[in-house]
Amino acid sequence: MIMKDFKLDNEPKITSGFTTPDGYFDTFSEKILAKLPNQEPKVVSIFSHKKTWYYVAAAIVILMFSIPLYVNYSNNNEELDTTTLENYIAYHSSVSEDEIVDLLDKEDLEKMKIEFNLQDEDVEDILSTNANLEQYITN
Amino acid sequence: MQEEKDFIQELLNPKTQNQAFQKLLRDYQRPLYNQIRNIVLNHDDADDVLQNTFVKVFQYLKDFKGDSKLFSWMYRIATNEAITFINNKAKRNGTTSEALQSKIVDNLKADTYFDGNEIQLKLQKAIAILPEKQQLVFKMKYYEEIKYEDMSVVLGTSVGALKASYHHAVKKIEEFMKTN
Repeated sequence: MIMKDFKLDNEPKITSGFTTPDGYFDTFSEKILAKLPNQEPKVVSIFSHKKTWYYVAAAIVILMFSIPLYVNYSNNNEELDTTTLENYIAYHSSVSEDEIVDLLDKEDLEKMKIEFNLQDEDVEDILSTNANLEQYITN
Repeated sequence: MQEEKDFIQELLNPKTQNQAFQKLLRDYQRPLYNQIRNIVLNHDDADDVLQNTFVKVFQYLKDFKGDSKLFSWMYRIATNEAITFINNKAKRNGTTSEALQSKIVDNLKADTYFDGNEIQLKLQKAIAILPEKQQLVFKMKYYEEIKYEDMSVVLGTSVGALKASYHHAVKKIEEFMKTN
């Protein structure tokens, strides 16, 4: 089809010719509303924020009360434990000297050395007055 | 303008948002669909792009400054979405958007949702060989009858340049209609 004197403005309006499926625009808004991330997002967020702060406040209050309690409790525990332990060691007959010696390490021995502050003379003194000297030397 | 400001407030207010958005859809779905369809040409693609457009409108509404009309702003989003879509589709097919559009127009007769007669089809073919910017201006001016002032806001081009583009487009189209 060849149009010799085609002038767009002289022609009746030519439309695009595009159509849509029946009822497309009637259902489009439903489709899009379902697709939107969150309806009324602000209401949700304000509420959830408030709730979060309540939880945070509650957690802080609980911690404020529980930390001193815990510290007290654990301190008492420690004291009790030490005393029990000391008593156990002091009065438990079945702990032998050998066992205690086994438990002593080099560091403990160094400490004891300092505490005793043994001088050479003292050692000599002890050795010379000790009747079992020979036995010690041979050992 | 005040009315539009109130409407935007309704869109942003969680209590009125749902209803306001439905009104927005009712008022603008058809013109935005037409703009998109004129660019992507195929109904299914136009449907996808229109959905994305409204999702974006909803998403960015809080950033809408109101220094342009709501309609122009939405039109700009729809146009950008449609152009991005057709460019990406062309890239995926290893071709240019102009070549892709020409190809779609050549197959328009087989499209279920194209009901044009011979002259309508011929006009589509004439448009398809124009440069991208002239195509856009021609479709907005001729098919959608959008005012140059509004088009200027949507496309970010001066009214004078738009008029020149339209004039060139009409000349080429008339030439095509006469000779082909």
